[in-house]
Amino acid sequence: MASSVEHQTGGHGHHAGMWVFPRKENIAPDVAGKTFSMPSGYKLALGIAFILAVLGVVGFFIRATSDGFGSPGPWGYYAGIFSFVFMVTGAAPLVACAFRFTKSHWRRPLSRVSELFAIMGVVNIFLFIPLLLAMPSIKNPEVQGTDLEVRRTLWFEVPIGAPYTWDILCFVGLALCSMAILWLSAVPDMAQARATATGFRRSLYNGLSGWWYGTKRQWNHQKAGLALLGAFYFMLLIFVQFIFITEFAMSMVPFWKDSVLPPMYTVMSFQSALSMILIVMFIMRRWGGYEGYIGKAPFWSASKILLGLTLLWTYHLFAFFVTYWYGRLEVEQNILKYVFVQPYLIVFLANMLFSFLVPFALLIWNPLRRSAWGPPLAGLAALVGAFLFNMRTFAAAFNTGNHYEFSLSHVPAAVWPDIWDIFIILGGLGIAALVYLLSAKLLPLISIWEVKEGTLYQKMGTLMKGEYLVLAKPE
Amino acid sequence: MQEGRVLSTREVNRDLLRSILDTPRWFWPVVTVLGLILLIAAIAVGIMVNRGLGVTGLNRPVAWGFFITNFVFWIGISHAGVMLSAILRLAKAEWRRPATRAAEVLTLFSLMTAMVMPIVHTGRPWRILYWVFPYDFARGIWPNIRTPLVWDPSAILTYLTSSTLFVAIALIPDFAVLRDHTTGIAHRVYSVLAMGWEGNARQWKLQIVAGVLLSALILPVFVSVHSIVSWDFGMAVAVKSWHSTVFAPYFVVGAVHSGVSAVAFALILLRWCYGWQDYIRHEHIDALGRLLIVVATGWFYFLVMEILFGMYGREADELMVRQTQFTYWPYNFWFILFVITTYFIPVALWLSRAWRRNLWIMSIACISVNVGMWLERFLIIVPGLINKQLFTFVWADYRPSIFEYIIIGSTFALVTMLMLLFSRVFPLVPLYDVKEGDVLKTQVQIGRRTVPATFRED
Repeated sequence: MASSVEHQTGGHGHHAGMWVFPRKENIAPDVAGKTFSMPSGYKLALGIAFILAVLGVVGFFIRATSDGFGSPGPWGYYAGIFSFVFMVTGAAPLVACAFRFTKSHWRRPLSRVSELFAIMGVVNIFLFIPLLLAMPSIKNPEVQGTDLEVRRTLWFEVPIGAPYTWDILCFVGLALCSMAILWLSAVPDMAQARATATGFRRSLYNGLSGWWYGTKRQWNHQKAGLALLGAFYFMLLIFVQFIFITEFAMSMVPFWKDSVLPPMYTVMSFQSALSMILIVMFIMRRWGGYEGYIGKAPFWSASKILLGLTLLWTYHLFAFFVTYWYGRLEVEQNILKYVFVQPYLIVFLANMLFSFLVPFALLIWNPLRRSAWGPPLAGLAALVGAFLFNMRTFAAAFNTGNHYEFSLSHVPAAVWPDIWDIFIILGGLGIAALVYLLSAKLLPLISIWEVKEGTLYQKMGTLMKGEYLVLAKPE
Repeated sequence: MQEGRVLSTREVNRDLLRSILDTPRWFWPVVTVLGLILLIAAIAVGIMVNRGLGVTGLNRPVAWGFFITNFVFWIGISHAGVMLSAILRLAKAEWRRPATRAAEVLTLFSLMTAMVMPIVHTGRPWRILYWVFPYDFARGIWPNIRTPLVWDPSAILTYLTSSTLFVAIALIPDFAVLRDHTTGIAHRVYSVLAMGWEGNARQWKLQIVAGVLLSALILPVFVSVHSIVSWDFGMAVAVKSWHSTVFAPYFVVGAVHSGVSAVAFALILLRWCYGWQDYIRHEHIDALGRLLIVVATGWFYFLVMEILFGMYGREADELMVRQTQFTYWPYNFWFILFVITTYFIPVALWLSRAWRRNLWIMSIACISVNVGMWLERFLIIVPGLINKQLFTFVWADYRPSIFEYIIIGSTFALVTMLMLLFSRVFPLVPLYDVKEGDVLKTQVQIGRRTVPATFRED
């Protein structure tokens, strides 16, 4: 679909189409038009997402009625897909916050794409509840008064409500914070749209942004609020990810004591969130008519970050691997064999291929990084890798056997997904897609005020005989 | 408005070559004092070699003490060069320009100083040969290449070589300026070093490509060095609290934290010593302060992971190490001091823009970080070794001797002296980088405001 906005592009030669400069006065009506329209392709995507979500609900109910929540084993793949969705959607809003903090102008078209994932944070709370039900209790119900009474856990002295109340509070806090970021960021856009919107949207925009008049004081408060919320969300997200991966993966495997796992999980979440944002932007640019707002520059700049995150994830994995491998302790060797190199070897190798080798091989090439399709392709690979990482880790952790053993004395067999697991996995992906697609019809996928602001700070300028991008950076 | 005056090429040359073409009055007295400190340290080393390691506080099971702590500390400082130079160059951060050379040179000298420490630590420096050559040709006993203690010198020497190359490549255009500003022997030496540099388009292109390539290639080396140093500890399963998977990233981030703080402090000193107010401006120190907030917070996260998972295993011998760190005098005091000085004091100061731009406060914050980071390495090494074997035949504490204090103190004098001597013959702020930055500066009019802007070379 061609963009209806008249715009200019900057750059020559291999920079052609690198920067776009939309006309300020056309941005709001054009983006609103795109947000409120419902093309047939969009309807098809909604339909597919809905069908997948229904499959997931069916799979979930059959799993719950046939296996119950008494043992964690059958819920391994549910945990895997939940973790994958949480990993991507939890970290996605942070992408906008991080690049807003560093005052990177190229982030402007991707800000709202990233913040819209915040709505999934609310859905994640409900998807998380079955995991709490399936998790084995910290205290071993069959043993009393011995060392094995309590399995290894983060909740050292098992405070009141641990782990259920605290875990759920973590996810609620995260959802509230991310929604606050989305709301604060979208207020100026909603205020502008409340004059033209009708029906439900008009009521929603009035309710959420009725107080906004765009005074200087309001703008200052909005920017300071976004910075503070972003910093708080960053810390909260890392804390919740640490709790989640430790509670639902590490502590399920006897003696799995791995201090680099939470950072590795966090790095992978940043990698996969950025990948997902790049894919959404590619789709918007290619089929959504947003090429007037999304030049190649965001892909190019984000690709360097993606390459860095890919290398960082691999480095963390290597740090874990080499320490366990070199230590030659039997229990660590068993964990290494179980989670990585024996029953789940194929998945591990595929995970490495997609999380490291493919993105790395693609992103080291400048021409690919400069294209609009190279970084999303690398991102797609990284997402497949993250998916496999979660499946392997959680399927293994939930099917260890006796979670209360002091150490893993043997290597359990792999447990592969059955048909209901596959339904659940597809459903997890479907629900996430459905929620996002619906959200994109409530709020514009382009942060109008940020793109407008960007037009003031970026322009093409002449230096000596060449034409270059000029970037203004106000303090 | 842009910060700082707009300077002509002539002014840049005059100001930045001042350290080379005019010797300040304080220069030689300071170098002499530093040299005396080094002489005293050399005597201390001599006595130690003569009498053996018994003159130090090292014992069984605490076989690693101040020397190895200091080794890790200086390796950490050396990470600033690549962090600032390579990463910021690749990220095209404009504020990097005046800081890169000092950071790279600090890398070189701190690496050299770090390498001295294990040699001193052997007590019999000639034993260093055993790392390379067999103990006895007839028996065929070779060094164990599977130990990180052998990987260490390989990684450090690779880092030293690549860092030297990195500095040398960046110096070529400045050598040419020096060649054109000197006479006699100095002119001839700088002519050789400038390698025929004329500043034509082809030479500039090659120089930039070489800089970018070296930046990219040096990054894995940079990460590998401190990772391998961390594995000196992490691979040792016998010492509880050392066998931790997070050690590699924890050490690397910690190294960047201490290294960048050291560079910030060095820049403030250079500004003060040579009057480079127009080059090392408050905005540069401010940017370093902002970067340090992120680095420090990342480091603090890894610290929490390291401690938390140390206790998570609920193993008695590891808990004993933590108990030593947290509750036994004087380690509990050192631990509290370490956490406060490394994170809470500096980050609290850096959060304020006004304080980031106050050079005195920035100096205090940067020194505070490095005091803390030195203690960090000490608190990793010594409490772990004290509790190495629960039933060890000697349950000894570690009390460093005067010899260790002298030798450790002299390493700071050594690095300072080397930096000063370097500044006497080579420019510590890259002339061409500063000039390039000035060319790329511009301003954009937005409404009634003039906003600083830059041309992007991309």
